[in-house]
Amino acid sequence: MKSAVRLPDVGRFRPLTALALALTLVAGGFAAWAGQDWYRAAHDDRAAYAAERDAALSAGEQAVQNLNTLDHRELKRGLDLWASSTTGELHEQLAAGRDEFATQVKEARTVSTARVLSGAVTELDDRAGRARVLVALRVTVEAADGAKTDKDSRMLGELTRTDGRWKLSALGQAPVGGTSTG
Amino acid sequence: MTPTWLLRRNAAPEPGTADETAEPQAEVEAAEPEAEVAESEAEAAEPEIEPESGPEAAAARPPNGRLRKAALAGAAAVLVLGGCGFLYGAHQLRSQAPARNQALTDAGATTRVAGDVGNALARVFSYTPDGTGAAERSARTVLDGRAARQYETLFARVRDDLTDQRVTLSTRAVRTGVIELDGDRARLLVFLDQTSHRGKGTGEDEAGATTAAAQLTVTARLEDDRWRIVDIKAR
Repeated sequence: MKSAVRLPDVGRFRPLTALALALTLVAGGFAAWAGQDWYRAAHDDRAAYAAERDAALSAGEQAVQNLNTLDHRELKRGLDLWASSTTGELHEQLAAGRDEFATQVKEARTVSTARVLSGAVTELDDRAGRARVLVALRVTVEAADGAKTDKDSRMLGELTRTDGRWKLSALGQAPVGGTSTG
Repeated sequence: MTPTWLLRRNAAPEPGTADETAEPQAEVEAAEPEAEVAESEAEAAEPEIEPESGPEAAAARPPNGRLRKAALAGAAAVLVLGGCGFLYGAHQLRSQAPARNQALTDAGATTRVAGDVGNALARVFSYTPDGTGAAERSARTVLDGRAARQYETLFARVRDDLTDQRVTLSTRAVRTGVIELDGDRARLLVFLDQTSHRGKGTGEDEAGATTAAAQLTVTARLEDDRWRIVDIKAR
């Protein structure tokens, strides 16, 4: 013998509930679409690359400025900054010549102050962690007698990413009258 | 009693014995399953089985239905708000300064603007004593705005001297870096080598040649699919 089946909620048709349900489904669809749009924007390779480019440029400009700034009264601080702004071969060169250089600057009693006029990234390999920058620089050198001279220079820097930070691994003046182009 | 028609609802229709109450119930069936899904989502805690008869049923349903509607409306509101939040976040990410600047991220466009601007500078700042006209003609096509006015002023001042002193100038863009590229506007840093000769010697008379370095920041604008320089600042 069959017993009475207790069917769940067999009730009146409720248009308001159905409407609310439809709205919720639409809202759910909208939320899902917006969510994946946000996800795509947040995981955009280009945006990550652009952020890396800007990080490399600001680190490069700062490092080039640091390496052209030195006050004979604060030699240790200045040279420590040089060390922390560089990596690789350049870092080793600076470390090797540090004492000799410090003695020279102490005798010359000069104060060099650099200001970055403009800079641009010309190459960026964000996987390998390498970048090249151009920096137009104005260096003001104050001699022991207080005379100031300005010198504009154009620098080519090579950056290497070490432990997530961009540091200078090579730095030189762009040759004048050379043959390289680019 | 109710058990009778409830049983019949699942059984095959019996012609002749169908009572009136069965008809509307069967129609509701079709609409209900959807509602059930929402209920299980929105109100998992709510007991699904409701009293089928008696005065309690009438008393219990309205608050339940209201609760359900409120929960659905609440869920919809939360979803819409969440969706708007995501959209806003995505917009923020896309409009950030680094993402807008296409320098290097758009490799083709970056190479192109760097090449166009480098060539343009080389052309307008290269001339022979008798051929300043060529440089000035180039200037009219590649310079615009403030850069064109600067150039005209400069040339008006030196044109006669150039011819008198037989000055030959050749300019080369040694390095070009794109600082910023945003659609049809670009800012570049250009390192130039400018070699000048005085007198008759051109090329062979290297002793009379001097090479000077120049650093420029250049603003360029894309017009009719060509990059034109609108501003030049010496650095």
